[in-house]
Amino acid sequence: MLSELVIRSLQVIAGSDNVLTSKEDRLCYAYDATNQIFLPDAVVFPSNAEDVSKVLKLANTERFYVTPRGAGTGLSGGSIPVSGGVVLSLERMRRILRIDTENLIAVVEPGVVNFELQMELGKAGLFFPPEPTSMRYCTIGGNIAECAGGPRSVKYGVTRDYVLGLEVVLPTGEIMEAGTQTVKGVTGYDLTRLMVGSEGTLGIVTKATLKLLPFPKAVNTILAIFNNDYMAGDAAAEIMNAGVNPSAVEFMDMTSVKCTRESERFDFQADSGALLLIELDGERESLERRAGAVSDICLRKGASDVRVVPSKKEVKDLWWLRRSILPSLVKIRPHKMVNDVVIPMSVVSEFLQEVREIERGKVIIIACFGHAGEGNIHVNILFDKNNAEEAGKAKEAVDDIINLTIRLGGTISGEHGIGMTKRVYAGMELHPVAVEVMKNIKEVLDPNGILNPGKVLTEAMSGKQ
Amino acid sequence: MKKLADYMPEISMCVRCGTCRSTCPTLITLGRETASARGKLTLFDACISGEIELSDTFVKHISECLLCGACQQSCPNSIPVPEIIMAARAEIINDRGLPLITSAIMKGLRDPDGFVGKTLKLASFAQRVIFKDTSNTGGLQRRLPLPYITDERLVPPLAKRFFLDEIPLNPPFSKGEIKSPRVGFFAGCLINYVMPDIGLSSLKVLEKTGAAVIVPHGQTCCGMPAISMGDFEDARALALINLEVFEAHDLDFITTSCATCTDGLKNKFRKLLEDESPELKRRVDVFCSKVRDITDLLVNELKLPASMSDLKVSEDGAVVTYHDPCHLRRGLGIKDEPRELIETAGFRIKEMKHPCRCCGLGGSFSITNYDLSSEINMLKAEDIKGTGAEIAATACPGCMVQLRDGLHKIDARVEVKHIVELLADRMG
Repeated sequence: MLSELVIRSLQVIAGSDNVLTSKEDRLCYAYDATNQIFLPDAVVFPSNAEDVSKVLKLANTERFYVTPRGAGTGLSGGSIPVSGGVVLSLERMRRILRIDTENLIAVVEPGVVNFELQMELGKAGLFFPPEPTSMRYCTIGGNIAECAGGPRSVKYGVTRDYVLGLEVVLPTGEIMEAGTQTVKGVTGYDLTRLMVGSEGTLGIVTKATLKLLPFPKAVNTILAIFNNDYMAGDAAAEIMNAGVNPSAVEFMDMTSVKCTRESERFDFQADSGALLLIELDGERESLERRAGAVSDICLRKGASDVRVVPSKKEVKDLWWLRRSILPSLVKIRPHKMVNDVVIPMSVVSEFLQEVREIERGKVIIIACFGHAGEGNIHVNILFDKNNAEEAGKAKEAVDDIINLTIRLGGTISGEHGIGMTKRVYAGMELHPVAVEVMKNIKEVLDPNGILNPGKVLTEAMSGKQ
Repeated sequence: MKKLADYMPEISMCVRCGTCRSTCPTLITLGRETASARGKLTLFDACISGEIELSDTFVKHISECLLCGACQQSCPNSIPVPEIIMAARAEIINDRGLPLITSAIMKGLRDPDGFVGKTLKLASFAQRVIFKDTSNTGGLQRRLPLPYITDERLVPPLAKRFFLDEIPLNPPFSKGEIKSPRVGFFAGCLINYVMPDIGLSSLKVLEKTGAAVIVPHGQTCCGMPAISMGDFEDARALALINLEVFEAHDLDFITTSCATCTDGLKNKFRKLLEDESPELKRRVDVFCSKVRDITDLLVNELKLPASMSDLKVSEDGAVVTYHDPCHLRRGLGIKDEPRELIETAGFRIKEMKHPCRCCGLGGSFSITNYDLSSEINMLKAEDIKGTGAEIAATACPGCMVQLRDGLHKIDARVEVKHIVELLADRMG
């Protein structure tokens, strides 16, 4: 609970309209897309870095927790106030401050929605490559905090590759500028990259300088249908080695495809097992040749059907289908554990086979989809938490999948972050010395442990044996 | 009608992905999670489980919804959020009752010759005293302080003569006598009391197609204002009146020029009476299946575009931008027909950026939440202005009231017209 004095001070800092304390209001800031609820004691809407700084300074003197939040669409609980305290919602800081078309950079506030930025950039023929699946509603601040990826990262890389500079409010309230306005820069330690992907535990981004690219001249989309996952996984690996430089290689198993409402618009055969949605972009002249190469690989790997998607409408429908899989899984079972593992390309097919063995062994439904071109597979364990036996088996299946991932030389999160949901597993992957360094960094920047507690690291974490 | 708690299965389909944040006009404007469908569903869940009560804050958040349906359309699980919101509003009314004045109006509407009509006639007479005419905008602004109506708000004037008073009383069609489609015209309150010209244009256009048209006497409000407030009891009473009035004529189609009325008569009507006797439900089914929006009827049944093909788009035709009314686009899935009719009337269409984003009227929403309604309206007005169109056309008189207010505020010289007016003008 926050004292009357703290609430009044927050009202002085942000204005009384920008401090919410009723239970109804707090409930609306208690969750993210992991669908778990932890009530904050208050919600505060800062309008600039000074507000953020003052709130954090107050938090250090009065000792309350602060959890930053963008649109609340994360998939590891990064913005959930697990221990109560203040949710600092950056929704009001949603200005695009500058788009510099000569130097290909944009300066934005953290609350800008990814898609709104893309719309503005589109007018100048530019784009910001990180386009997570939730791009229509997630914020740039959240993208930076989680180092978001998305389908196009197979060609363009992830958020960290497009953040040049940051204004960050440190947990103790100091406002820090880091990085550059230029594409290169090695002056000093790379604090920008330290902040990107720190999941709101090391600082709160209040301004970001982003690197932009000119929009590709043409795009070609190919849909390949396979009888099973492993064939699709194999084909994805080969496509990545064929020199065709795809801008997306998306994998979807049929459990994932069939639960979306968009799937009704396509007549997938009953024996279809998995899809690959492949996108090529670049010079128009090269597209046909590259599309031919992709088709050949898919057919050689046993695809039952490969086609260049003919109409823009169908391409749009396929991407909507892809984007709506995760929320649609609720139609199969009410709850899910979302894993976001990355597997070395050469063993993706093997990984998928073993996942199916786990699925059969535990008699549980597992839906797999993701960015196969990078080996980034979202493995979703579906269950009903009110069914104790099923919930138990789901937990065991997650353990097996994490163990499998580490055994195959993968990582437990490619783009969703560790947050609160994967903390217990992070120690299995991290080197003990790295864990020690991370703990020290957190301690130095946030001596009182007020910023986004209960995320990423645990006290007991000691690193892999 | 289902109660709020009956919607628990739908509510629990929300996995809080946040997709609704990208389309909700109140969220885009307020910038707060409480405005989103995701937030409201969370509140319903908490309310049903007894964790929160029907507090003032709850009531305020539930009032901040236009029922535009954009969230339901974008939701991967198609959660029927507007329906659930109406059920929640019904719960609030059960708990707190309706404001006296609202209750009196809703009950008064049951008698078409009763006090509501008489009061409005008196008001039509007196309105030039209370309001000043802001000529050439098609609206009035207040002279004196009035509740709910701010200084700057452009209010549509009441008609000098109401539509239903203009129309001669028709005898019912006798069975089998007429070969052409028999069409019953449902006026609705805005056309009757405020924009009778749209009603007259509708009749002109319908008759041009050779249809036999009558305007059944005794018809009243479609009930949508009551439904959207959660007042199902009054809406049910109005529905039964309209059912009997239209059943008395042997009709092939029932049509309206108001998107909201169409959605009310075709979709909500069925839901309102779903708990009735099988016999009544059968009658309701027959009624609902005959209801067609005028744009849909003109294109798909009466084949108007073919009969006016000599008037097709001329190179120098004025540019029109079309606003999709929520009740037409999402309520009934009608999007191509209105556009086809605009071209039939000889105009070129320039689409705005967000043609199907709500105008912000939302019925009584624009009275209870005028500032928010206005802000949403501004987005629409700027969008229209950006097209450079001379005319903004739509198919709902409610939207027209709102668009005129918004365009007036940003001083954009864009005429707001109903599609049937464009067609009637073209017919000369």
